[in-house]
Amino acid sequence: MTEVKFIGRGGHGAVVAAQILAKAFFLRGFYPQCYSLFGGERRGAPVKSFLRVDSEKILLKCEIKRADHLIVMAKDLILEEPIMNHVKQGGIVLINSDEPLELKENVNLAYVDAQKIASECGLGNIINTAMLGAYARINQDLPMEFLEKAVREYVPAKVEENLAALRRAYNETRSP
Amino acid sequence: MVELLSGNYAIAEAVRLCDVDFIAAYPITPQTPIYEKISEMVSDGKIRGQMMRAESEHSAMAACISASLTGVRVFTASSSQGIAFMHEMLHFASGNRVPIVMGCVNRVVSSPWAFGSDQTDTLSQRDTGWLQLYCENGQEALDTVIMAYRVAETVFLPVMVIIDGFYTSHFIEPVDIPEKENVDRYLPPKNLPNRFDHRNPAFLQNVVDAFYYSEFKKRQFEDTLRAKDVIVEADRIFGDTFGRSYGIVEAVHLDDAEIGIVTSGAITSCARLSVRNLREKGIKAGLLKIKLFRPFPYEEVVRYLSHLKKVVVIDRNVSVGKGGIFCDELKASMCNLENRPQIYGFIGGLCGEDLPPELIEKITLYVLREEKPPEMPIWIHGTNF
Repeated sequence: MTEVKFIGRGGHGAVVAAQILAKAFFLRGFYPQCYSLFGGERRGAPVKSFLRVDSEKILLKCEIKRADHLIVMAKDLILEEPIMNHVKQGGIVLINSDEPLELKENVNLAYVDAQKIASECGLGNIINTAMLGAYARINQDLPMEFLEKAVREYVPAKVEENLAALRRAYNETRSP
Repeated sequence: MVELLSGNYAIAEAVRLCDVDFIAAYPITPQTPIYEKISEMVSDGKIRGQMMRAESEHSAMAACISASLTGVRVFTASSSQGIAFMHEMLHFASGNRVPIVMGCVNRVVSSPWAFGSDQTDTLSQRDTGWLQLYCENGQEALDTVIMAYRVAETVFLPVMVIIDGFYTSHFIEPVDIPEKENVDRYLPPKNLPNRFDHRNPAFLQNVVDAFYYSEFKKRQFEDTLRAKDVIVEADRIFGDTFGRSYGIVEAVHLDDAEIGIVTSGAITSCARLSVRNLREKGIKAGLLKIKLFRPFPYEEVVRYLSHLKKVVVIDRNVSVGKGGIFCDELKASMCNLENRPQIYGFIGGLCGEDLPPELIEKITLYVLREEKPPEMPIWIHGTNF
């Protein structure tokens, strides 16, 4: 089983990101389970969303504490709390960052300028599809075609713009 | 067709499949997505029935009772404070023998104000005469709403179909949505008596004397006990039709067990993993999931648990000053047996406090080490097992 945790702020699209990713894994033939936690439904407030993926039915009805993969949509959120509270030792951390990053923790780091990509694709601050494109780059279990199908189903508007952000982020994801 | 659905949306899908004619409800977290989805389905023409956005839960239930008396199929949903506010009308519903189905999403009852799951909202309605079915996940909730109409319209009693707030209501998982034609075949034809002519409205609640009151209550009581067999039958035929059935209780590995864990609702899923893990360590643990709470399945409880040495009951609810409510019912079911297991009551997972499989395993190991159960419950919160 793989556990994925998204941390972001209201307006980034973290809740829908987990749902799109769940759908993509579902289309790939996996059993997904996803949920979200809100501090209060408002823009700018910290939002966490979660996804479990397995090849069989998932029985865990409890919280994900430290995930295998951590997707950070707002860089400042990992300044507030140690990153190892969110991710396992040796896990993957993907961060939305406009500059190259290095972390001293024992994680596999990747970063992408999702804000710039989303903005240039006409999506403003909604960076979820860009983050998912970057995620497909670091998790080779999920071919892009499944994410593209899921985006078409879940994104309420600007479908082509979201697909462009997904593909561009896939290509622009970097590791230190 | 299998789709990714939250437990709330699974319940809304069931309402669509059951061709419900009338829905009256008021939104409250965490039930609101049921209300929103049904509203959307009515607006899109996917549900042909009418939706009444009531000004309160009390009014919603009053409207449901009146509508049901005209012979139409009725649904409502609520949580927490909303269910508490309905309380008076819940007695009217069961006393009037209306086959209403209500989706209940467990949430703490204030104060303090909070949003997580706590079964005390529905368990506080224990004595209102409603049948109560506690579901483990979204799939079971969808299936149980469909079964509930078959049961309600057979025995003329209202039914609560209950899920945990958040863990079931908001977790999105694959859910199989049955074919509508099969649901049509499974449900009884809509042929409910019209007991209320809205063109000639009249007061229906006659004042009765002690003889008639006792007569009414006795019959309601006996019919509620008989409802158990109807539920068992509805579940069996559901299994034949759709390939899924749940039972009124479910026993897992209890035959050769030395210790049994008793759960209801979403906690059951984690407990299944605990039993598997304990067995891998050589500990003969078993599980009893209690789905039906009213009428209480005391015969089944005795059948599956009475041979054990020790039973662990985990309650995500609390009757303050007494204990976990499922635990109390369980003890009462066994009090006249000559040989009965030691029963250890635990209160945990209140407000959705995390209750992972490892913790349930630790509790079980703790009970195996103990000699005698305490009279009062053990609080999982703040205890180091």
